[in-house]
Amino acid sequence: MCKFLRYFFYKNFAFTLVHFWYSFFSGFSSQVAYEDWFITLYIVCYSSLPVLLVGLLDQDVGDKLSLKFPKLYLPGQQGSLFNYKNFFISLCHGIFTSLIIFFIPYGAFLQTMGQDGKAPSDYQSFAVVTASSLIITVNLQISLDTSYWTFVNCFAVLGSIAIYFGIMFDIHSAGIHVLFPSAFTFTGVASNALRQPYLWLTIILTVGISLLPVICIQFLYKTLQPSVGDKVQRNRRKYEAEEEEKKKPTPFQRGRRSRRSAYAFSHSQGYADLIASGRSFRQRPQGRRNPQESIREAPQAENI
Amino acid sequence: MMASSYNAKEEDGHHSGASGPGGAAAKSKKPDNTAFKQQRLPAWQPILTAGTVLPAFFVIGLIFIPIGIGLYVTSNNIKEFEIDYTGIDMSSPCFNCSQNFSWNSTKPCKCSLPFSLDQPFESNVFVYYGLSNFYQNHRRYVKSRDDSQLNGDLFSLTHPSKECEPYRTGSDNKPIAPCGAIANSMFNDTLELYYIDPNETRTLIPLVKKGIAWWTDKHVKFRNPGGNNSNLTASFQGNSKPVNWNKPAYELDADPENNGFINEDFIVWMRTAALPTFRKLYRIIQRKNNMTPTLPRGNYTLEVTYNYPVRSFEGRKRMILSTISWMGGKNPFLGIAYITVGSVCFFLGVVLLIIHHKYGNRSNNSDIPN
Repeated sequence: MCKFLRYFFYKNFAFTLVHFWYSFFSGFSSQVAYEDWFITLYIVCYSSLPVLLVGLLDQDVGDKLSLKFPKLYLPGQQGSLFNYKNFFISLCHGIFTSLIIFFIPYGAFLQTMGQDGKAPSDYQSFAVVTASSLIITVNLQISLDTSYWTFVNCFAVLGSIAIYFGIMFDIHSAGIHVLFPSAFTFTGVASNALRQPYLWLTIILTVGISLLPVICIQFLYKTLQPSVGDKVQRNRRKYEAEEEEKKKPTPFQRGRRSRRSAYAFSHSQGYADLIASGRSFRQRPQGRRNPQESIREAPQAENI
Repeated sequence: MMASSYNAKEEDGHHSGASGPGGAAAKSKKPDNTAFKQQRLPAWQPILTAGTVLPAFFVIGLIFIPIGIGLYVTSNNIKEFEIDYTGIDMSSPCFNCSQNFSWNSTKPCKCSLPFSLDQPFESNVFVYYGLSNFYQNHRRYVKSRDDSQLNGDLFSLTHPSKECEPYRTGSDNKPIAPCGAIANSMFNDTLELYYIDPNETRTLIPLVKKGIAWWTDKHVKFRNPGGNNSNLTASFQGNSKPVNWNKPAYELDADPENNGFINEDFIVWMRTAALPTFRKLYRIIQRKNNMTPTLPRGNYTLEVTYNYPVRSFEGRKRMILSTISWMGGKNPFLGIAYITVGSVCFFLGVVLLIIHHKYGNRSNNSDIPN
C-alpha cells in the first residue's frame, strides 16, 4: 500500500512539474506543455492500472515466509514505509524526473530540423515527445517497483503504453479532425514527429536518464544496507526449501499417542469431530482414585 | 448407526459443508478459493542482484557511447550558416529599415547584406528564417485561432470563434479571415539570395516555395472555403483581411494551389513554435546534380525586403542556410548528452562492481533471526 502511495505522488509530481519548467520559456503564461486530451487521459487511463494492480497484488515476501520471519512486521509497526521522509523523497524523485523530461527535449528542440528539412521544433511535436517520454518513464518505474510479477501486472504495464500510443494516433488522425476540427487540433503530429529517428533517440535518452539513477540507488541500498525484506527476498528459495522440508510428515508414526480417529468415511464427513471432541469417552466419577489404589483399599477393608 | 447429519457446529464452532439436509450454513463471507483472490497467481519475483544490474550498466554504457559519437559526428558534418539581419548596429545595412519602420509605408524598405561561404553546400539546402524572443508559445497567443475556419468551414468564415478576439472583426465590422493573433502576426519579410561569382556577376539563386509545410497540414488541416477549384476572391467577399497584413488572404500567391488558407508560408507560420527562439522553413534550394555543389564556395548577397518589425520587443531576425542529414539539422546537444550518459553509466558500473566486491558478500552472510 505504501508503494502505491509513494508511486502515485511521484507520477503526479513528474507530470505536473513539467509545466512549471515550461512556464519559464513560455512567458509565464501557463501554457500547457502537453496536449489537452493527454492531460485528461493521463490520470485515468495511461498510468492508473499498473499501480492499482501493484497495490492489490504485490507481495515482496510470500505468505509462508512472512509467518516464518516475524521481524518483517517491524517496518509496519514503526511506520517506516510511508512517513514525511518518504513523501519528501517521492517529491524529490518527481522533481528530478520532471526536470529530465523537460530539459532533455528542450535541448534537443533548441535548434533542430526534421529529416526532410521541415522543422519539427513546433509546440505540438514537443508536446508529443514530452508526453511519450513521461508515459514510458512512469510505466517502467512502476515495473521497477513491482516485486511480484504476475501476468496481470505485465499486461497492465504494456497495455498502458500500448493504449497511450493507440489513442494518440487516433486523436492525431485525419479522420477525427474532419469530424471535430476545433476539438482535435493535433492532426498529423504523432505520425510526423514519431517518424523522426532523432526524436526517438531523444525519448530513449530521457527515459534512460530518468531510470538509471533509480536502479543504481536501489542496488546500493540492497548491497550496503539491506532491509529484512531484502534479505528474505535474496534467500527466498533457500528459505522456501527449508519450509517444504519441515512440513513433510515423517513416514512412520509408531506408538504415537493421539486422539486422531482412524475411523473414516470417504463419502461424508464422518465422526472425526465427534471423537476428537472427547464426548465419547466415559466420564470418570468424582473422587474415584486410580485403579491401583482402589484394589489395595478393598482387601484392607476386608481384613478389618 | 449410520453416519447421518451430525452437526459439530456447537462443539467446534465452524460451519459444516453442504453435507446432509440439516447442514444449510449461513452465506460464507470467505473469498473464493481462486488463485487471483487468494493471491496465489503464478509469478516471477525478480530482485536486483549484481548479476543483473552490473552487466546492464555496462551494456547501456557501451550502447550509448557509440550512438552519441555517431550523432556528434553527423552533426559536425552538417553545414550551417546563420546571419542576423535585424539591423541593431548602426553599421548594419538594415539599420535604416529597422529604425524607420511604419505600418503605413507604401514603399517597402530593402536592404542587402553580403556574406561568404567557406565551404560548399552539397545536396538540398534549406533556407530558414529565425526569430528570437518571440513567444509563439504564449497561452493567449496559441489559443487565438479558429481551426474550423482554417478547415474551410463556411459558417466559421462569417462567424469566427470568440478566441480570436481582438482580431476577430476588422475596422469595417466584417469578420476577419484568417482570424486570430497568430495569423495576424505572420512573418512577411522577403529574402532573396544572389551568388556573386568571381567575375562580379550576380545570379539569383532559385528558391522553391512548395513542399515546405507538412503534408497533413496542407491537405487535411487547412482547406480553402468553397473547396479546391473555387474563386477565392468570391469566397472571401464577406471578410476583411487581418489588420497587419498588406494583402488579403486570396492574394497571397498567384498559384491557386498556394493561395488562401493553403498558402504554405501561412501554414508554416501557423504551426506555432515550442520555444521563444525558433526557426521556420522558408524556402528550399534544390540540388542541381551530383557534380556541382548546390551552393559553391564564394561570396553571396542576401536581399531583404524588410516588412516585419521586431525592435519593439527586442526580438532578432536571422536567415539560416543549412543542409540536412538523417538526424535533421545541426544540433550537437543530443550527441554530447548520449556520450556523457554512456560514460557516466560505464563509470558507475565500475564503481558498483567495486562496491559489490567489497561489501556485497558481507551482508549476505548475516542471517535473520527467526
